Amino acid sequence: MSRRRPGWAVRMIAVLAAGGLGLLTSGLSTYPPRPDDVPAGARPATRLPPLSRAEPVEVRIPTIGVRARLVPVGADARGELEVPPLDRPQIAGWYRHGVTPGETGNAVLVGHVDTAAGPAVFFDLGRLRPGDTVRVTRADRSVATFAVDGVAAYPKDRFPTALVYGPSSAAGLRLVTCGGRFDPDRRSYVDNVIVSATRVP
Amino acid sequence: MKAKTVLVSAAVGVGLGTLLLPGAAWAQTIVSPSTTPVGGTVVLTATTCNPKSGDAIFRVTGPNRDINVRSTTAAAGGGLSAELFTAGFTLGTYTVTATCGDGSAAGTATFTVTPIGGAQAGGGTPGDPTGSVAAGVALLGSAAGGALILARRRRHAVTAATG
Repeated sequence: MSRRRPGWAVRMIAVLAAGGLGLLTSGLSTYPPRPDDVPAGARPATRLPPLSRAEPVEVRIPTIGVRARLVPVGADARGELEVPPLDRPQIAGWYRHGVTPGETGNAVLVGHVDTAAGPAVFFDLGRLRPGDTVRVTRADRSVATFAVDGVAAYPKDRFPTALVYGPSSAAGLRLVTCGGRFDPDRRSYVDNVIVSATRVP
Repeated sequence: MKAKTVLVSAAVGVGLGTLLLPGAAWAQTIVSPSTTPVGGTVVLTATTCNPKSGDAIFRVTGPNRDINVRSTTAAAGGGLSAELFTAGFTLGTYTVTATCGDGSAAGTATFTVTPIGGAQAGGGTPGDPTGSVAAGVALLGSAAGGALILARRRRHAVTAATG
């Protein structure tokens, strides 16, 4: 008699623990990963001849399993950077008023971190580390390869305009998505996560 | 002594460099800031124009603009300045070419008009995950509590049996 009770209790505890662990992991995995806030360090300039202008068509980031089509984006009526429509969450945008990836200057790519339906194209951007590779295929079939310099989150009201769009003597790439806490009242994330990368051979 | 020679020749090199470089600085135009969200104001300055020889003219060319802006004030650090309001500007990079009142070229500079603020690049997760995280923690807590009680009971049972 005294043998059966501990058996039941042990099973009960196991069920509770398994359920708790399941809920915890499912809850936590719906949050986008936080970047380590590695500021973009100066990479020794490898003097690569800049590529000519050719619109980018696809971006690949092997370390986080991203392979996405790119569409040109501009700004909306309020002057904010346009993002591909929420019903096409696996497509990323290329800021068409800037340079194309591989030209001298910073090319800007933007993608959703998630939608109401779940993770989107740039969900794992915060996981990138310096040295990770980003490849951009261009309309002229050339591929520009970039190495990540830094990943950091910035509050949207202190967006680093010069870091993202500013002039540069090298061929750079900036990947932009959302991050930080989701503010349900404003239906918006409080931060932008920005990956800085420089073209490598 | 050898180190000294190297140091001296390096110093001579730097000195020569600074003497030779300012060829570009003779006629210099500065745009501050060089990056502005659309609607922001930038200050154009032709640092080498003499206010006594008349207003400087800044020709601003870019994606949808080709305008001349006349200088309005003498710049604090020398030269002539004008403010340029970028409301309605198409996003992109603009070139400023300055000419002094006496007709001499005063250099060129570029500035970039960018989108405003950050990107709305998230739609929010389905429902608030905080609830399921809290429930998970509660369940794990009760499992741990149960395990603790069980372990104590067993220990008691063992001490009772041996005692």
